Amino acid sequence: MTEAEAISLFKCLADKSRLQILKSLAGEDMYVERLAERLGLTAPTISFHLKKLSDAGAVTAYKNQYYMMYSLNKEMFQTSILEILQQESDEAQKQAQRDADYRQRVIDAFFEYGKLKSIPTQLKKERIVLEVIAEAFDFDRMYSEREVNIIIADFYDDFCTIRRDMVSERLLGRNGIEYWRMKND
Amino acid sequence: MNEQQQKFESYLDEQIAACKQRSKLLAEDERMDEGKFEKIRANVYEIFKTILSVAERVCGKDDLAKRDFFLQKAEQIPTSWAASYEKARQNGDIEKMHIESIKLDTIQEIKDMCMQIWEETT
Repeated sequence: MTEAEAISLFKCLADKSRLQILKSLAGEDMYVERLAERLGLTAPTISFHLKKLSDAGAVTAYKNQYYMMYSLNKEMFQTSILEILQQESDEAQKQAQRDADYRQRVIDAFFEYGKLKSIPTQLKKERIVLEVIAEAFDFDRMYSEREVNIIIADFYDDFCTIRRDMVSERLLGRNGIEYWRMKND
Repeated sequence: MNEQQQKFESYLDEQIAACKQRSKLLAEDERMDEGKFEKIRANVYEIFKTILSVAERVCGKDDLAKRDFFLQKAEQIPTSWAASYEKARQNGDIEKMHIESIKLDTIQEIKDMCMQIWEETT
């Protein structure tokens, strides 16, 4: 478990309702309405908590006939706190985490449900946005300009600007007829 | 301020105080997210308390005009909440759906109470 995952799990556990849900699931797998009845909370509130627990990896879900059943991720809870504390945490890891957090903040600010809201004015931020869009292209494959436009249009209507910027940022290569995704270190 | 408005404002004040109290108790009970939901409810009541005072400034002593102004805003303002709920639903964003539904449920309750108070006293 990484430090970030541990923090996310501990934050998630620091809530009495969520702890009660986990205690219930430690006994048996349950569905939302059953948990709601048992804990005296509304079904939407239980769903809200289960989403957080699921994101932190504390619970898993599976379908059983008409119900979505939730179960405790026992494997995660078998990790001892000492093991988490003994995980190495050097500066490079922290730096990488800070970079990843910054990148995620930019993505969260400029994308909504997978669509680009606007092109960032700051070059550093635009680079991140373009890298996200570049992930929609496969390596080792040639694309026609029309294919490139269609892929970019899934993210943003002004595909011409994005396409040109991706070429100038060397995320896409171009030979006059076709485009390809470039490998960057 | 007339009787209906006074009664309605008292109702909003009571709800704001009750939400804040529940939020405090939930936070003390280490149920921070549920406490946050109560704050969201309190915010909705506060928004519509402000709308009520605007209605008084805009409509003066015309009671029905005040009620209609208020109800019109109570229809207009939540349209963005409903759109946001729908967008979240389409994307399976359960957290956002829950927050938007709290706001929508609260405004429905406010509208029902507004109608009830104006009907009772006219």
